[in-house]
Amino acid sequence: MFSRLIGGSKMLLGLHKPRRSLKIWPDDIFLVSFPKSGNTWTRFLIANLVFPDAPVGFKNIHKLVPDPYGTSKRDMERMARPRIIKSHECFEPRYPRVMYIVRDPRDVVISQYHYHRKCKKIEDGYPMEKFVDRFVAGDTCPHGSWGENVGTWLTARHNDPRFLLLKYEDMVADTQRELGRVAAFVGIKADSERIAKAVERSSADRMRKLERAQADECGLTKDSRKDLSFVRAAKSGSWQKDLSEPLVAKIEDAWPQLMVFLGYKLVTRGTAGQPAEFSSLVSSGV
Amino acid sequence: MIYGLKRVIKYVLGTDIAGRNLAVFPDDTFIVSYPRSGNTWTRFLVANLVYPNQAVTFANIEQLIPDSEAMSSRYVKRIPRPRIIKSHQYFDPRYGKIIYIVRDPRDVALSYYDFARKYRQIENDYPLTSFASDFVAGRLSSSDWGTWGENVASWLYTRGSQPQFLLLRYEDMLRDTEAELGKISRLLGMEATPERLRTAIERSSAERMRRLEADQGDQWVSTKNKRSDIPFVRTASSGLWKEKLPASSALEIESAWGPLMRELGYSLTTNRGEYGTAVESPELVKEHR
Repeated sequence: MFSRLIGGSKMLLGLHKPRRSLKIWPDDIFLVSFPKSGNTWTRFLIANLVFPDAPVGFKNIHKLVPDPYGTSKRDMERMARPRIIKSHECFEPRYPRVMYIVRDPRDVVISQYHYHRKCKKIEDGYPMEKFVDRFVAGDTCPHGSWGENVGTWLTARHNDPRFLLLKYEDMVADTQRELGRVAAFVGIKADSERIAKAVERSSADRMRKLERAQADECGLTKDSRKDLSFVRAAKSGSWQKDLSEPLVAKIEDAWPQLMVFLGYKLVTRGTAGQPAEFSSLVSSGV
Repeated sequence: MIYGLKRVIKYVLGTDIAGRNLAVFPDDTFIVSYPRSGNTWTRFLVANLVYPNQAVTFANIEQLIPDSEAMSSRYVKRIPRPRIIKSHQYFDPRYGKIIYIVRDPRDVALSYYDFARKYRQIENDYPLTSFASDFVAGRLSSSDWGTWGENVASWLYTRGSQPQFLLLRYEDMLRDTEAELGKISRLLGMEATPERLRTAIERSSAERMRRLEADQGDQWVSTKNKRSDIPFVRTASSGLWKEKLPASSALEIESAWGPLMRELGYSLTTNRGEYGTAVESPELVKEHR
């Protein structure tokens, strides 16, 4: 009762985080992903694209591309519309339009491992094997497992005009092109110069510098270890050297079809789990 | 400056509807379904099975198996654990043990039409064909729970193959209630004798529920202040859509969710479902089973 009184006074002023009670407007656009899939980078890309004159950084990102778990209700309601809102939720039928970022789960697990160290949820030297087991069971974050999060969105919205699927790996390979798709989806007329500028201002180097300068002013990094950075490698495919084969197999065994469907080639399941074009490459000896 | 004072007061008092903000405990069991799929009947069956020494009625069902979509967060929080909770939510990763009831969407649409009139959500003479289109397109007041296809697929895809998830078809429950209730009792970890199952089934019969509704309709949160000329407990049958639902509406439903319907064993009147778009990847749904 007492905690509800404190919560109630915060609510009265609109200072609480709306979380699942977020009031959704019909013109809202959501930027959704499983955690550690490039969501923050994409938030920066979008903020720099939509607000080319704002000094986009860690201390104000929650007011530009807000997070219902990190931005107050008052700030959420005072924003210019249409809002572009960050989220990690599994499928939400109430979201009118969604950009969904997906990333190779073998990379996601490594990134999440380091994030948990940074947030002091696990200690240095925590066995990776144990972490992978928890990851596969959906026990490393409150947003379902990787497969549940990705799969609920794809089964409900794939090929729907209200849904834009972005692959982190494509974004790393050709940021300019992928941000162009985002601009078109969001309805911003952006020439290639404006897009290039947003890409440049959201580079990993620049984000690392901003993180060092503003870590204490941002909810994402405030209470975490400062010797580990939030902005990490900004690369794809590091699982190939950082994840042992048995652990790769655990992940591939958990979601084989979903991974193949998304074009993440399986390496531990022989030819059985491979997409058609890949197995034909193998048989022709290439 | 003042943001929704009424809502704030409700929050402080804990009288806000639990809904998606329900506080979930690890030992909870959920009875989940899209609306109008046999959830209330299942609640009665389960309540009569678990509490054989108590007369289960509309006046006390909320104390036995509370409805998280109708009761306050404080109310549901105070139910003794382990709780069995009714829900219409789409996939929620926090739910552990789940009984999911699915029903032929063509019958769901028909039942929902009567329900929407009972609740005065639509006029009495609103065309059934328009209602069916609203149902498919997600324009009903319940669309916050997703469309039928979204709700069903979100659970089947994620939990369909897991031992803590029991998928029941309403049609099977009608055909062989004892066998299906037996599955529920096993999920709940009960050793229920055939007599106990049969008693629970008798006490949850459509006739008995209709009598209870007639007596207690104004005492139950879900029927209070609603039109009393349209009953909440309807025909308790399956396949009524074949005579009552216009062919064009059946077709509309089939072309929206054909692959998913076939996956669940609901035969289609046409092959139109082949090209259904709402669930593009039935093979993904299959993966977890």
